[in-house]
Parts: sequence; C-alpha cells; structure tokens
Amino acid sequence: MDNLFIALFEILSFGAIVVLVVLGLGIIASMMGIFNFAQGEFVLLGAYVTYIVHSSGLPVWLGMVAAPFAVGALGFVLERTIVRRFYAAPIVAMLGTYALGLIIREIVRGLIGGLYLSVPEPIGGSIGIGAMHFSTWRLVIILITALVMIGSYLLLARTAFGLRIRASLENPALARASGISTNAIYGATFAFGAALAGLAGALIVPVFSLFADLGLRFLIQGFVAVMVGGVGSFAGPVAGAGVIGTLAAALPWIIPPVIADVLVFVLAIIFIKFRPQGLISGKGV
Amino acid sequence: MSNDHNHLNRRRFLSNFAFASTAIATGVGSWVVRPDWANAAADPIKVGIATDLTGPIGYAGNADANVAKMVIKEINDAGGLLGRPLELFIEDTASNESVAVGNVRKLIQRDKVDLVLGGITSSMRNAIKDVIVTRGKTLYIYPQLYEGKECTPYLFCTGPTPAQQCDEFIPWLIKNGGKKFALPSANYVWPHTLNVYARKVIEANGGEVIFEEYYPLDQIDFSATVNRIISNKVDVVFNTVIPPGVGPFFKQLYEAGFLKNGGRLSCVYYDENTLNINQAAEIEGLASCLDYFKALTPEDPFSAKLQAAYDKQFPGTFLFAAGSAATGTYRGLKLWEAAVKEAGKLDRDAVAAALDHAKIADGPGGPAEMVPGKRHCKMKMYTAVAKGGNYEIVARSAGLVDPKEC
Repeated sequence: MDNLFIALFEILSFGAIVVLVVLGLGIIASMMGIFNFAQGEFVLLGAYVTYIVHSSGLPVWLGMVAAPFAVGALGFVLERTIVRRFYAAPIVAMLGTYALGLIIREIVRGLIGGLYLSVPEPIGGSIGIGAMHFSTWRLVIILITALVMIGSYLLLARTAFGLRIRASLENPALARASGISTNAIYGATFAFGAALAGLAGALIVPVFSLFADLGLRFLIQGFVAVMVGGVGSFAGPVAGAGVIGTLAAALPWIIPPVIADVLVFVLAIIFIKFRPQGLISGKGV
Repeated sequence: MSNDHNHLNRRRFLSNFAFASTAIATGVGSWVVRPDWANAAADPIKVGIATDLTGPIGYAGNADANVAKMVIKEINDAGGLLGRPLELFIEDTASNESVAVGNVRKLIQRDKVDLVLGGITSSMRNAIKDVIVTRGKTLYIYPQLYEGKECTPYLFCTGPTPAQQCDEFIPWLIKNGGKKFALPSANYVWPHTLNVYARKVIEANGGEVIFEEYYPLDQIDFSATVNRIISNKVDVVFNTVIPPGVGPFFKQLYEAGFLKNGGRLSCVYYDENTLNINQAAEIEGLASCLDYFKALTPEDPFSAKLQAAYDKQFPGTFLFAAGSAATGTYRGLKLWEAAVKEAGKLDRDAVAAALDHAKIADGPGGPAEMVPGKRHCKMKMYTAVAKGGNYEIVARSAGLVDPKEC
C-alpha cells in the first residue's frame, strides 16, 4: 500500500515536470505553427539564470522569479530578429531554431565549463508520512504546474489578449483587417512560450542539476508529447505531455528500464499511426 | 561600378578561400606547443595528446591537456629528453569517435609523433587504438580508470582497473556499510564489466547482491529504482550510473531517507569534479576509491607540490582529479619519460620494452610501476568519504595494488 502511494506520487510528479516543460512548446507549436527546436535551450537558460542568481549569493527563489522574465525577453528579441523570418517556411524554421538552440547550448556549456552543478531548492527535504517520504520540492512543482496550466488556459480562453492570439492563428488576414497587429501578437506569443520554458527550467534545476544537455533531454519527449496530444489546441499538447510523462515514469516500475525507455516511443508511434490528429484534434483552446 | 563590385566579391572570396584552406590544412582543434629552447643540432621529440577538449566530457579532456602541458614544460625546463626538447601536439577527439579517428590520424601521419597518450572513454580507446598501434606503428598510453581487459600490444594503461578499485574497497564497504548491495548501472560496457568483478568480490567477502539493473544513459528519473532500494533494505548502493542521471538519482535516494536510515553510497569514479553535482548533504558519506584525492596533499608532500603547481598554472574549472584521467596522464608521461631514458632511443620496440618495467618514485598519490608483461600499472589506492562537500581519506592500501589484468 505504501509502495502504491509512493509510486503514484513519483509518477504524478514526473508527469507534472514533463507537462511544465511541454507547455511552452505546445503553445508556440499550436498558436504559431512553429516547431521551436530551441525550446529545450530556453529551459536550459531558465535553469542557468537561476544558477547565476544563486551563485551570486542571492536567494534561489529570486532566480526562479527572474528566469521566466529573462528568458521571455530573450525569446521576444529572438522572435523579432530571427524567428519571424521563418514563418513562411516551417521546415526552415525547424532547422533555424535548432541552430539557435545549438548556439545557446554550446555557449552555456562553455560558461559552466561542461560541468554538472547543483542548485538547492528553496524548500528542500521531504515530508514523511509513516515510512513514506515525499519530496517537498516535487510537491511544489506539482502545485505550480497546476497553477500555470490554469493560468495559461484562462489567458488564452478568457482574456481579450487570448482572443487576439487565437484570431491571429485561425485567420491572420482577417485578424489584420480587424485591426489586430499579428506581428506584435506573434512576438508576444513566442515570448510567452519562452517564458514558460524559462520557468520550467528554473523549477526543475534543483531536481536534475544544471548541465548543458538539460534541455535536450526533454526536447524529444516534448515533441512526442505534442504529436500524441495533437497540434492546434492548448489542451492537446498538455494532455500529450501528461500521457508521455506518466508512461515514462510508470513503465520502469513494471519492466526493465532499458526496455521501458524504448517502449514509450514505440507506443507513441503506434498511437500516432492510428490517430494521426492526436488525442485532441481541432483548433482553439 | 558593377565591375568594381564583382572584383571586390572575388577578392573577398579568394581571401575567405585562403583562410578556409589554411584551416583545413592545419586542422581546427589542433594545438602545437613548441619548446622555449630550440636546439639546431637535435630535432624535438614529438608527443601527441588526443583527448576530448570539447563535448560532454570536455572538462576532463582539458584537465588532461593541461597536465600534459605542465609535464612537458617541466621536462623541457630540466633539459629535455636525451638532450632533445619535447614538442607537444594536442588534438581534439571531441567526444565523437569518427572525428577522433581523423584527428588522431593527423597526429600519426602529418605530425609523426613518437607517442600518443589519450582517449577517455573505452569506446574512444577502441576507436583510436588501431589507428595508433596497428596502422600507425606508434606507442599508445591510455590514462583513464576503466573496465580492464585491454591487452593490445604497445598499448599501456596507467589508470586504475576493477581489481584496484574493488579488492580493498568492497571489504571496506561491507565493514562500514553492510552486506546487502544494490548495483544500479548505466547501460554500457564499463558498468557491465566492472559489475561482474564487483559481484565476485562482494560474494567472496560474504556480501549479497540484491539487484543489478541497467538504465538508459540519459535516464534522469529513478523513482522505481529508489523504491526498490528502500523496500529491500539495501545497505550499500554501489553506483555506476553516470551524469546526468547520477545527480537526480542520489537526490531521490536522499529524499527517500536512504542516508537517514544508515545506507552507504559508493561510486568509484567520484572525484573532486563530481562533488558539485549534488548538494553536500545529499551525498554525505559517499565512498569512492581512486589513486588520488586532493585530500591527500597534507600527508603527501609530492602530491601537494604537484597539486599546487597545477592550480597555479591552470586556475579555473578544469581540476586536477583522478576521475578525469588527469593523474593517469601524469603517470603515463612520467613512466614514458623513464622508459625513453632507459632505452636511449625512440624506437617503438625499445621504448615499449623499457616501458614494460618502468617505475616512477613519485607521482600523484605515490609511486607507480608497470607490471612486466601486463602493460598495466601498479599504484597506491585510497578510499575517501565525502564529508560536508569535501573528501576525507579513510583507508589507504598497504603498498602498490596489483591491476590483475592480462
């Protein structure tokens, strides 16, 4: 019984981490039609900002608050200068953003000397119930993921800004004719997606430590999640991330981990074969 | 006007082309360190270093290259070898075997080096050894701790083997941890081969292996493993999971109360570089067994001198540490120096014959000597335990430990 609770908690917490990482990726993919291969490096930058703030002697939580703003601002600059040139050619956009990611990753690798560095969590330790121990920070991540999900949903579904984003996605020409600056909307959406990645990086760095390939680790999983969930809506990638994260964490409990790792992808491919539009099809929220 | 424009473009193209062809000819990622003193009568002896200056284990490769620069400079300052200066050629193996083979070929064919030292991972050693030893007819020294079983002629190993890392360490773990072992491992050759040996030693000393399990190299969530360790009441975790997985793994173990319940962590590649992956409390009491720790410097004057010289010449992030092959690099170059002095010439067979029984009286952690006919190195081994973010030496081998290879 104890084991079951621990297993459920651990699986839920890893699922939450994957959802958090995929959220920004999904928003950019669904709302802009761009597969941002630099998303993993935005996660890495969020982690790096947190590390920098921590190593300069300031409290870690300050770094976690600063990370989404810093990464969002960088995302905005990159969108204005580079990414906006790619909207007409999605394949080129993939290569272009991959190149951006590569540059960011190697710069960070140089800055941290290729090492693996620990960043403490603002609230550490574990909560013990009987013989069971639950990591406090993972609990915090689950809560923040839930809040961010709800917040993002409300922003896209219930605000005037969200309406403009959806309008620019569904019919850019009509949106422009109605007086919406699609250019500015795209910039803001990209920055928002980047900021979410920055937040994800800041929150997960205490769990996984800071290293240059941190974002790369989640990129493939993230894209599989977006595929499984379905591009075009907000809920699709989130649902996909939930499924992939849960599977990735749950399978090693029952079968050898080396097989589990491959099995996640095999299952995803089979699923996409039979349901190419993903779990949730259609545009909108 | 338009003609002018074309002309400029062509000129720019030509200059770019010239630059690019120079880069191709000399190779990007090649460094040559020339001796300060040039002796017209004698050509320099050429030493080649092939190591991972870039890529995921760049921190180790850069430390090794630094050690080589330090040793070569020291030899040159003392008058060189056989009256000739040493010239150092450094090539990047880039943590990528196909890049490495090309760059190592440059060392052999273009630079015609007299020795190649390098390679950090076993896959790298296997990729470049044929280029160096068989086709290149050159001597090769491999400096990293590894899984053993490398018995190629003209290939000498100067890092610790499983016997050196387990024979004294595992009995210590049983005495200071307990009898129930778990062997969580990354899924590649080093953990597989090391675990075969470790299991033998564990069982011979009355211990028991509860489970031995392998994980993908990039796995970073270990909740299932941690649960198995806790629910089976494992005493000692003999870890061969590597970064990036090892950090989250130790953290999850800590959060699950493994250390609080008196569990003992152990990991034989853990050195000063890897201490920072986790916060100090998460790996309190972690035991490692290597040929050198910085904690030795107060008790061993030669190690202290070496460490101080390195830190002075190369302050920064690339540490002089045993787990990144820096100590094996030092040992390898000094043993080769001794062998060349004895042979009196650079002929491969003569140097190999002398290197077969070469000795050095001082090195990081103490003296070292090659075991005749085995091409592996006897050295002192130390067991250290992490305490508050630093190591504390808790056990020392009585003398030089036999590598038991080949």
